[in-house]
Amino acid sequence: MTAPLEAVEPAATQAAGPAGDDRPARRGILRYALSKAGGALFSIAMVIVGTFFLFRLLPGDPVRALAQGRNMTPEQLDLERRKLGLDQPLINQFFDFVGDTLRFDFGMSYEYKRPVLDLIGDRIGATLLLAGVGLAVAVSLGIWQGMRAGWRHGSRFDKFSTGTSLVLWSVPTFWLGLLLLLVFGAYFKIFPSRGIQSVDAPDGFAYVLDVAHHMVLPVITLVGVVYAQYLLVMRSSLLDEVGQDYVTTARAKGLRDDDVRRRHAVPNALLPTVTLVFMRVGFVVGGAVTVETIFSWPGLGQLFYEAVRVPDFTLMQGTFMLITVAVIIMNTLADVVYHILDPRVRSA
Amino acid sequence: MRKWLARLAVLGVALLVAGQGQAALAQDPAAGKKIVRVGATQAVDSMNPFQAVRLVSTSIHRWMYGFLTVPDSKTLKPSPDLAESWTPSEDGLTWTFKIRQTKWSDGRPVTAEDAAWTFNKIMSDDAAKTANGPAVENFESVTANGQDLIIKLKAPQASILENPIPIMPKHVWEKVTNIGEFSGDEYPSVTSGPYIAVEHKKDQYVKLKANPDYWRGAPKIDELQVVFYDNPAASVVGLKNGEIDLIGRLNPPEFEALKGDPNIVQWNQQGRRGAYLQINHGATTTDDKPVGDGHPALKDQKVRQALHWAIDKDKLVAEVQNGLAKPAHGSIVPPMYTDFFWEATGDTKVTYDPAKANQILDDAGYKKGADGIRTMPDGDRKLEFRFSIHTDTPIEDKLAEYLTGFFKEIGITLTTKKLDSSKFTEETGVTGLFDIAISGWSVNPDPEEVLATHLCSRRPTPAGEGGGTESFYCDETFEKLYQEQLKELDRPKRAELIKQMQERLYTDAPVITIYYTNDLEGYRKDRIKSITSVPEADGILYGASSFWPFYSLEAVESAPAQAEGGSNTGLIAGVVGAVVVIGLGAFFLTRRRKSVADDRE
Repeated sequence: MTAPLEAVEPAATQAAGPAGDDRPARRGILRYALSKAGGALFSIAMVIVGTFFLFRLLPGDPVRALAQGRNMTPEQLDLERRKLGLDQPLINQFFDFVGDTLRFDFGMSYEYKRPVLDLIGDRIGATLLLAGVGLAVAVSLGIWQGMRAGWRHGSRFDKFSTGTSLVLWSVPTFWLGLLLLLVFGAYFKIFPSRGIQSVDAPDGFAYVLDVAHHMVLPVITLVGVVYAQYLLVMRSSLLDEVGQDYVTTARAKGLRDDDVRRRHAVPNALLPTVTLVFMRVGFVVGGAVTVETIFSWPGLGQLFYEAVRVPDFTLMQGTFMLITVAVIIMNTLADVVYHILDPRVRSA
Repeated sequence: MRKWLARLAVLGVALLVAGQGQAALAQDPAAGKKIVRVGATQAVDSMNPFQAVRLVSTSIHRWMYGFLTVPDSKTLKPSPDLAESWTPSEDGLTWTFKIRQTKWSDGRPVTAEDAAWTFNKIMSDDAAKTANGPAVENFESVTANGQDLIIKLKAPQASILENPIPIMPKHVWEKVTNIGEFSGDEYPSVTSGPYIAVEHKKDQYVKLKANPDYWRGAPKIDELQVVFYDNPAASVVGLKNGEIDLIGRLNPPEFEALKGDPNIVQWNQQGRRGAYLQINHGATTTDDKPVGDGHPALKDQKVRQALHWAIDKDKLVAEVQNGLAKPAHGSIVPPMYTDFFWEATGDTKVTYDPAKANQILDDAGYKKGADGIRTMPDGDRKLEFRFSIHTDTPIEDKLAEYLTGFFKEIGITLTTKKLDSSKFTEETGVTGLFDIAISGWSVNPDPEEVLATHLCSRRPTPAGEGGGTESFYCDETFEKLYQEQLKELDRPKRAELIKQMQERLYTDAPVITIYYTNDLEGYRKDRIKSITSVPEADGILYGASSFWPFYSLEAVESAPAQAEGGSNTGLIAGVVGAVVVIGLGAFFLTRRRKSVADDRE
């Protein structure tokens, strides 16, 4: 357990050295975190303003779009317009919108006849499950392969794994998902084509298996397309470490190759990857839109997609803001965590 | 070598998990029941029939609720449903419907009061008009007297017998305070039709159970489920691997993907949909003021007719629709509605003849310029038209390519303009910012509504409101015929008037029908023993404006789990065992590798 600390030490003493005791440093972190949080709040405010105007710039009359080509009388159109508050002057609409948003009232979904926040609450679990597992697998796979590829730079494993991951990275998510569906769903008939569970789902442990069974293809799709970034970042940062003096020293001490890698090089090389992971966590919420629509996964992505198809403006606004704000918050956290993890940043 | 072994082992585990999933499926609570699963690529918009407008929802409501009348499964003529019989008054303004003595699924009797409440709710509450407002527009009053329902009309209306409104149980629905914001998700639902909805997971599925007390007799299956797919390609996969048993409304590519599967029946019959070109022949608002920027040449009937002569419909069907459509020589009513279908014959019939099209344009004074493009007789504006289509619809892209080619032959340039659907609806239905646009309509057994979309009153108001016009058409002859057919209670005579209306549309050409797309569906014959379409033999299964196909179908029982209980536990134990063994194996393999690495150093 002490090994990672040892390894970080050379860097830590370098940076924190002159400060002596750690109190100013801690105060520094607090100040840093506060300034980052301030920045994040500003961004969120901009998102709220931006969302309001963005959704009003969309082409087409929202009420007419809601009618979906049905024959509606002018009275009906007026009623819909009043319901959406579109009969008010723009400035009033804006302040209403801001006030409601600050109270976490995202309005009623036109299509579902339910508050947007409730709908998001219903769906977020499925998305977190899918995207969370996807992220965990992608990160583990990426780091593991990147570690090996970087350590044995130029080996067959390096070429194979880097090549494969880059090919998958370049493939459109939609295409990969459909391909997997056709091969494993239609041809081998071993994985289901849709959803998070069977329509007549069994109970108990069998239910867990049922959900796991439904998750296989979406997770593979999600992982296949993104794991290359973890692999490449891990690989290149490990490459940077390989030539360092401390690695040579460790080797000279007679440590086994695996120990040199695991205990000395990798902990130092992990930093950029960890930052990347944190930044990606923000996208977990919104990043699965395509995968969810391919596999009819009842999460936020599907909710957003359906909202766009209708179009259900309040729902679109709500999900859009949630997805954006999640990214901002996670990015801010990434900044702060990075600050804590890597002492070198503190002095910068 | 060992690495490969390890990989193989991982693959083995994956396959085992997959197999386990299959076993779990076989173990499902559905085992031993007769369940039919219908795939749908449209999400249910609402389980509240006052709000639901999508085909999937209205289809489900047709399986749940009774109507005054339903189309006969053979002739498509209105036939008794909840209304056992009906009599119009002498002047055709008062209709008395005798409501059938039967029960709601909660045991309460169905009365005329229920029907009267349903219609009055829509007439009196704007929020209840969303789904079927226009269907009661002509109702003066609706009252109940025992089992008699009396509907007084403002003006005669023959199509009253095709009323699309499901009769709702008053004792349940009168408690709803805000009908516009009610999702209808209360289960089990109270119905009088063949099925009772028992569960709805939004964007996932709807489960319906057979109504054992249905007055026609309980359906022959236990459960009917509608399973939602976000994407059509996945639904085809679902049909192939048996997750769903039937899927309707397929596009040609998905339909063709079903080819070659011995368990799947490819259902390819005449459909209820026509595709046509909407031509901006001088769009106006309801006060007859011009609106939009349509090309002036299109106001000339001769130019529109020339366009018609220049279109090779056979080629469009063969190459754009892969042969899965019927070239149209009629107007907006497709041939499946034999009573109302009209087809041009003799001199009126327009065929593919570019020479004749050129002749018409030459005679009308549209001279070709040096570049081969024609110009207006009185000026130098060239005959360059825009063709508005939707974004992301490959079939429309292809159609645009072919039309561009056809019109080039007669000295007319066509450029394609792609619009997202809300902009498209606005420009082609309200603001008139188009020359030629793609259009299409699904036609009900009674074509009145689709004909009405070409009435003067359907044009937008000067304020740009309302409407629902499909052509901005406003023609005296057409209006007169429309009014006459409203009053005509004799079906053959009314059909004759409706045919004349179509002939008018055909010759005046504010719209040019190009083909009737086939109804493409697929179902598993190892699961569905028999299913009857509407009309019988060569009609539609899903989305047929009738409960009949899904009431009369017969299914095979879901396979019971391979063996009782034991097999499943065995499989789980097997999987757990395999995981442990392979995990241990992998552990030792890596250990071994490590020592090999050590040796090398």
